[in-house]
Amino acid sequence: MKKLTYFPGCSAHGTSEEFDKTVKMVMTSLDVQMEEIPDWNCCGATSAHTMSESLAYALPLRNLVLAEKLDNSTMAIPCASCYQRLKVTKVHMDDNPELCKEINSTVVEDGIYQGKVDVKSMLQYCFEDVGLDAIKAKVTKSLAGMKLACYYGCLLTRPKAITNFDSPEYPMSMDKIVEALGAKATEFDYKTECCGASFSISNTEVVINLTGQILEMAKESGADAIVVACPLCQSNLDMRQPDIEKHLGKKIDLPIFYFTQLMALAFGMPEKDLMFSKHIVPVEGALANIGKIVPEPEKVKKTRKAVEAESEAE
Amino acid sequence: MITLGIQGKNTFLSDVNKRSGANVLECYQCGKCVGTCPVSGYMDFPPREIMQMVKLGLKNETMMANSTWFCLTCSACSGRCPREIEIPSVMEAIRHMAIEENYINGSTKVKEIRKFHEIFLDMIKRYGRNYELRMMAEFNIRTRNLFKDMHLAPKALLKGKIPLGVKPMKSAKAIQRMYKLAEKLEKKHTGKEA
Ligand code: SF4
Ligand code: SF4
Repeated sequence: MKKLTYFPGCSAHGTSEEFDKTVKMVMTSLDVQMEEIPDWNCCGATSAHTMSESLAYALPLRNLVLAEKLDNSTMAIPCASCYQRLKVTKVHMDDNPELCKEINSTVVEDGIYQGKVDVKSMLQYCFEDVGLDAIKAKVTKSLAGMKLACYYGCLLTRPKAITNFDSPEYPMSMDKIVEALGAKATEFDYKTECCGASFSISNTEVVINLTGQILEMAKESGADAIVVACPLCQSNLDMRQPDIEKHLGKKIDLPIFYFTQLMALAFGMPEKDLMFSKHIVPVEGALANIGKIVPEPEKVKKTRKAVEAESEAE
Repeated sequence: MITLGIQGKNTFLSDVNKRSGANVLECYQCGKCVGTCPVSGYMDFPPREIMQMVKLGLKNETMMANSTWFCLTCSACSGRCPREIEIPSVMEAIRHMAIEENYINGSTKVKEIRKFHEIFLDMIKRYGRNYELRMMAEFNIRTRNLFKDMHLAPKALLKGKIPLGVKPMKSAKAIQRMYKLAEKLEKKHTGKEA
């Protein structure tokens, strides 16, 4: 049995309950025991680092300090924004002891930061620590027939110097996970474009624009659903989809799944436990493709993989 | 008035460099960041121009621009910058300096973005965590735009997408203490300490 510290983040008790719940289900099934950081606080998200350097470090640092009391070597975070704030703070505190001491003085009653715990996104943890083989071994109901566009957003892999995970331009970890579940990952060029999440409430026009492009490209890739690993991406792509369809003047109709919902589904967990009813865009159409394997259409364009292989050979 | 800075005496450039940890002088104006940036079309000056303005010491123009408020910190630009400049850190450094030195961009959009962040931070100060529904409601009230996104609400609430009530964390006091101390730290850095 593996042990893991868990930082759920504010949306786990709100808009992304289904992510939180399926993360827990999947981890239990993979024999990972998760311990939640006691009395964690909000990471400060975009707002803290927009307005104040000290708060931008202090809010995440308190969580890092509390996490060290749990005696696990790794912590995993489902939200990409929380993950980024905690990871940036960790890297900067580790690199700059003087700054660390200063920031630590604001949360000193909770403890002294030692840098003992590694910070990973839930996606990274599944890919690196659990691994594709362990995931494959749990699949009892293959998702073959589903075509999925994996959307990573901007924060899970960038900046590379901070995340040190996958590719900042064209990551493949989530693609490989959904393929381990039997589904097909489409070639999706907008997988790391920003969805504008931090403007969701204050600057909706920008979000509609950016998210609209992402949805259109996913549709063009031939996907019948999008898979995400972040609650902010999910709610922007799902909740605003009807508005975006109006803006674009066409139907998109792409349900937005969390990758852990699909893992749980492929692990044979009952569909009623996966909270699909919370989705705004209905999931039934996409799920109905499971088991229906459509023959691949003749490719005119060279696939990205082929181009990469060629350039590597050169 | 536009005053050109001279390198060496350009304290704005050295302040931005120091604060961001980047070296803006490295920028050779290729424009790759502009093509990459998802919001450059909304900015008064896209990232390439901001770099040049810092190099020239155009402090007032740079600090007043909406660009730093529109930056999403998505790091798409810095990933492709051939000079490996941490552009979002530069944007952030300028924004922090503008806040501290009271350079206020009065456009509606920047005001709304700023208001949103202030409400968000206020909420964390009070409860230690963010409650999405309250956040939306407060933003609408404080920007006098009561019905914004209201068409999303019935479906979202019905589906349990946005919870109505949430309980605050236990040690919200620790957060309030942190805010006070963080504010002190900030004052110390900007030399505004009493
Ligand atoms: S990509 Fe880098 S070097 Fe090119 S203009 Fe932008 S900041 Fe300057
Ligand atoms: S980090 Fe900011 S400036 Fe750079 S591409 Fe993203 S939004 Fe544009």
